Amino acid sequence: MPSKALSKKRQRKENVWGFLFCLPCILGFIFFAFLPMCISLYYSFTDYNIISKCNFVGLANYQNLFGGTDPYFYKSLLVTALYVALSVPSSLIVAFLLAMLLNTNVKGKGIFRTIFYLPSIVPVVGMSAVWLWVFNSDFGLVNMLLKSVGLPAVQWLSSETMVIPTLVITNLWTIGSTMVIFLAGLQDVPRQLLEAVEIDGGGGFKKLFHVIIPMMTPTIFYNLVMGIINGFQVFTQAYVITQGGPNNASLFYVYYLYREAFEFMRMGSACSIAWVLFLIIMLLTGIMFKLQKKWVYYGGE
Amino acid sequence: MTMKKILPGLLCSMLFAGMSVMSTQAEEIEECTITFAYWGSGAEQAAIEASLETFQEAYPQITVNAMHIPEEDFLVKINSMIAAGEPLDISYSASWKCQFGEEGLIYNFYDLAENDPDLAPENYLDTCWWMWSETESAGPIMANVTPSLMYNADIISEAGIEVPTTTEEAWSWDEFVEIAQQLTLDAEGRNAADPDFDPNNIVQYGVMFAPSWNTYMPFVYSNGGGYLSEDGTEFGLCEDAAAEVLQNFADLINVYHVAPTSIASNSMPAAASAIASGQAAFYLDGSWNHLDLAEAECSWGVGVLPISENYTTYLDGGSLIIYKSTEHLDATLALYKWITDPESSEEITEMFRTIWMPVQKEYYEDAEKLEFWASEEFPARPEGFQEACVDATLENLTVATEINVKNFNEIDTLVSSALDEVFSGSKTAKDAMEQVKTSVDPLVEGTYNGERS
Repeated sequence: MPSKALSKKRQRKENVWGFLFCLPCILGFIFFAFLPMCISLYYSFTDYNIISKCNFVGLANYQNLFGGTDPYFYKSLLVTALYVALSVPSSLIVAFLLAMLLNTNVKGKGIFRTIFYLPSIVPVVGMSAVWLWVFNSDFGLVNMLLKSVGLPAVQWLSSETMVIPTLVITNLWTIGSTMVIFLAGLQDVPRQLLEAVEIDGGGGFKKLFHVIIPMMTPTIFYNLVMGIINGFQVFTQAYVITQGGPNNASLFYVYYLYREAFEFMRMGSACSIAWVLFLIIMLLTGIMFKLQKKWVYYGGE
Repeated sequence: MTMKKILPGLLCSMLFAGMSVMSTQAEEIEECTITFAYWGSGAEQAAIEASLETFQEAYPQITVNAMHIPEEDFLVKINSMIAAGEPLDISYSASWKCQFGEEGLIYNFYDLAENDPDLAPENYLDTCWWMWSETESAGPIMANVTPSLMYNADIISEAGIEVPTTTEEAWSWDEFVEIAQQLTLDAEGRNAADPDFDPNNIVQYGVMFAPSWNTYMPFVYSNGGGYLSEDGTEFGLCEDAAAEVLQNFADLINVYHVAPTSIASNSMPAAASAIASGQAAFYLDGSWNHLDLAEAECSWGVGVLPISENYTTYLDGGSLIIYKSTEHLDATLALYKWITDPESSEEITEMFRTIWMPVQKEYYEDAEKLEFWASEEFPARPEGFQEACVDATLENLTVATEINVKNFNEIDTLVSSALDEVFSGSKTAKDAMEQVKTSVDPLVEGTYNGERS
């Protein structure tokens, strides 16, 4: 009996300490994430604009968005969805292939890994400014090259149909961190399984499709979810390179949110836009987690 | 009396004499710190910083806490300062100031002027007032800029062309297009009027223009059109007189191939680099480029806009707004006058000789004062500047679109997107403007001065 009481007391003491150690994190979450979110939810039902009195307007902000009064909402959703649909698969495939290459045993692989990771640490604004000139349709490097071999120039950033694919290409420059995660995953693929394929006479493709990719599905899944979340939040490229143009063809959702909040000073409306994005991302992530049961393989199961 | 006794007395009296000279204007102002927020290029920042140093020497009891904020983030920062209750006394401002005025956050300049003869409204040009109601103003423009036609003087003189600097001699649009065709060259050296001209390999463009309201609105006004309809209740750029002008600009790109096809405002080289490198013969943009052109040390010049009839243009610029939250109005006003006075300090004078134009009438009416800032001896004031940029502008002034049209920022965001379709050639100006009219009309609230804009 006394020993039981003692262990209970000890347990409680441990709980207190555990809680204390978590406190910075919990407080950070409450004050820098949870409370601001609650406040933003409240503001999304108001016409808050920082400088004047804030009035409760009910669902008016949401009605403006979904009712089509706001000329940008559907357009920006469509544009962003298109960007995600193109950029997520392309960056996953390229990052995976790069990781495969960097996983081979070549001389100086440390240097190659560094080189391919390097673009990820270049500030996005600087990178965007460079891409702006590379893809300039009249004076840009890419069109110069195309012209020099007799190909017609392309309106990379000045055409409504080309602007999203162009931004997707520039995005491939920043896949370093995805690549590193893949690389880590690849190094965990059990040697004995690969050797088993070799003994059975299977070649590289057999190894890839029957061992490596199945073993990598948890990593692919993680990168896919993060890719979708980050894809919907793409901002800097639109802000620096295109400013949403031409004709709103690259009006990414978060850039549209930024403009609503900080150029037009409609914080209430901007909060409602943010909440719609939150729900969309949550819904998509939920769907991803539901679907993963069908294709993601966890070793322990 | 021994020398020992005289010396301290002498020193003291000298010191007092010096102090009294320094503080003649400033003696009523108490010791205080004021916060001043502004934006601007590197050159502007350096000038402002240096000038604030001299200001604080002239007013030793005032400490200026200057904040340089990039223009894109300016409103964000100001808003958050207001929301957080941080002190802010005076700042640069764009069209959002009208909303600040309506909310009672800033002083009505006319109220300030009533108690201060230095600020009398009649001292300033009539078209330079930022208003938020018929009787309330966020102040006159602090320093003017104006739409400007700039050119590479080497290319022009080699072609034997003389660019007119008076409105009487101004080119018509058609003449301008013809000249631009001659000056647009492909890689083989053929010009744009040549039937074999290859528009895919242009090495020198006849004209580049910034695709913004600031470039096309003088042409729209001169052609009898407006940003809004005659009665100010509807969108006006879809009317024939305005749509024709916008179509003319698009035709420079898609029909005559004399202008580059990148329509994004960010992707056009700036006037100074385009002209200095010979990429463009002409450049239509604003007079704020003159400083960079002067510093590029290329051979350049300015002319009147190619408008042969009913020449109409404007002076534009931000204004310095004074916040009602200020606790040191006297000190803030002293700083206001310092920055807007072309003669307050060497650094400010330099700004008025390169990038800014004054707002006070006397600097245009008095020949000596005009020479003070616009002498064609200055590197940023090329030959013909006084005729093309001062006389032609001053005699044909209207209020700048941005200043006069209510809700301009939001309307123009819609309009410039729609213009992308016009400049890319996928729609005619008439169609694109009529289409955007349905989104614009609910935002139209007329003009601040009640006249058409």
